[in-house]
Amino acid sequence: MVKVPELKSQYIWIVVLIAFVTTAVTPLGAPFKIFDTTQEVYNFVESLPKGSIVVMGGSTVFAFDLESSASMIACIKHMARKGLRLVNIPLGVESVQYQKYCTDAARVDQKYGGPWKYGVDYVQLPYIPGGDPALVQLLTDVRSAVSVDVYGTSLDQLPIMKDFRSYKNIALWTCPHWGITSIFRFVTGERGIATAHFAQAAAYTGSYGYRTVFPGLVYVTNGWIGGAGYEKLMGYAGVGTAANDGYALASALLLIFTVLGNVTMLSQMRKEEEKEKVEVK
Amino acid sequence: MISTDPWVWLSAFMTLCSFMLLYGEHPLFRIGEYTYTATVVAHSVVTGIDTFRLRFAPLIAGTQPFLIVSLILGFMSLFVAWRKYAWLASFPMAILIGVGTGVTIRSLVMTDLIGNIRAVLLEANTILKADPGTQLGYMVRIVFTLSALIYLLFTLFIKGPLSKPVAYISTLGKYGILLYFGITVGNAWQQHSGLAVSAINRAIRQLLGL
Repeated sequence: MVKVPELKSQYIWIVVLIAFVTTAVTPLGAPFKIFDTTQEVYNFVESLPKGSIVVMGGSTVFAFDLESSASMIACIKHMARKGLRLVNIPLGVESVQYQKYCTDAARVDQKYGGPWKYGVDYVQLPYIPGGDPALVQLLTDVRSAVSVDVYGTSLDQLPIMKDFRSYKNIALWTCPHWGITSIFRFVTGERGIATAHFAQAAAYTGSYGYRTVFPGLVYVTNGWIGGAGYEKLMGYAGVGTAANDGYALASALLLIFTVLGNVTMLSQMRKEEEKEKVEVK
Repeated sequence: MISTDPWVWLSAFMTLCSFMLLYGEHPLFRIGEYTYTATVVAHSVVTGIDTFRLRFAPLIAGTQPFLIVSLILGFMSLFVAWRKYAWLASFPMAILIGVGTGVTIRSLVMTDLIGNIRAVLLEANTILKADPGTQLGYMVRIVFTLSALIYLLFTLFIKGPLSKPVAYISTLGKYGILLYFGITVGNAWQQHSGLAVSAINRAIRQLLGL
């Protein structure tokens, strides 16, 4: 019996980790195609008039949503460039941190040299508990669902909130979170507001079907590859591009490992066969 | 420039701890795991208290006095932990489930059931008008949707002259569902690799101030 040489899985993971870290520091520029779905989201945001209010809202856990941050950050940069305004509506306990992370990472605030000012161009609302009924309440009358922002400032003191009273003021609902079904049902289905879902790769197939259910109102990007496409359209290399590089490099390394493993196994087989022949003689 | 923010360093360290699982059982992974669990629980409690404070501020200020109803119902739900008076918690729970179901069921039927049927009919209607590539896409979706529905609705089919053709269509539907599962698994793998890269990327970029 041929003994296959052992290659510890830890070594493979370390090599893959090095590949991911390397691409995070130094972008490789691995080629990829911008999907039509990503281009459609970009075009829709581009078509919105200056001053339009865009919502970032939904719910699930921070770690699970992280993949969608590539698209969301690129979209926030796009919004700031277009002079749009953003209202962050967290419907999950960890959504506040995630939405704040995305907004900060986009570097659009004036403290980072960007064009946006808190309270005027964007606002972060606090966690809104209550699930679907709370979402419906918020869409009907924002102030009946929430009265202050995440810092405890009254909504009446925030200039952006003077123009945001109900769903009628929303030009686009963006959702970088896993929990999109309620958004499709209540925001798009019942109120006809366009939704852009920056879907995690595993959620993409589920969300894609809604494009046919609500043609022209549902836009979906696919995980980090969608984010890489959006970054390319915006003319910068961010998390999505790094993820694409890391994935490409890791895939190439895994392929090399597979080839090396097979070559080693075949050479061992030959050696053992020759040894058996010698023993027979 | 390397970050001097201790939180960024802590975040990078915890990310590294989480990934230590790939190296095998390791104390650093356990540190990461327990810290994450404790943090999530603590965060939920703090958010809960904060939400309570913010939500009921208008009640204390006297601008929304009807919030007293929510407050009473909220307190009633706490009796669930007290066996003798647990029945009191049934009232807020019943209202919660009743309102939630009432709000959701209408939207669910309109969006997921009627909406999907309408979408399939629309695609069937336009199947001869689109370009060949789109026609093929529509055809695959319509055939798989109908056959998958037949598979799910007629898993048990009465024996008769139609049982054999229905069984063929049903098998096709089963393959359609399996294909969907296969694609979903592929996408899930892509997501997990994307999550890993995003997490490492976030830690490295914040650490190095890129």
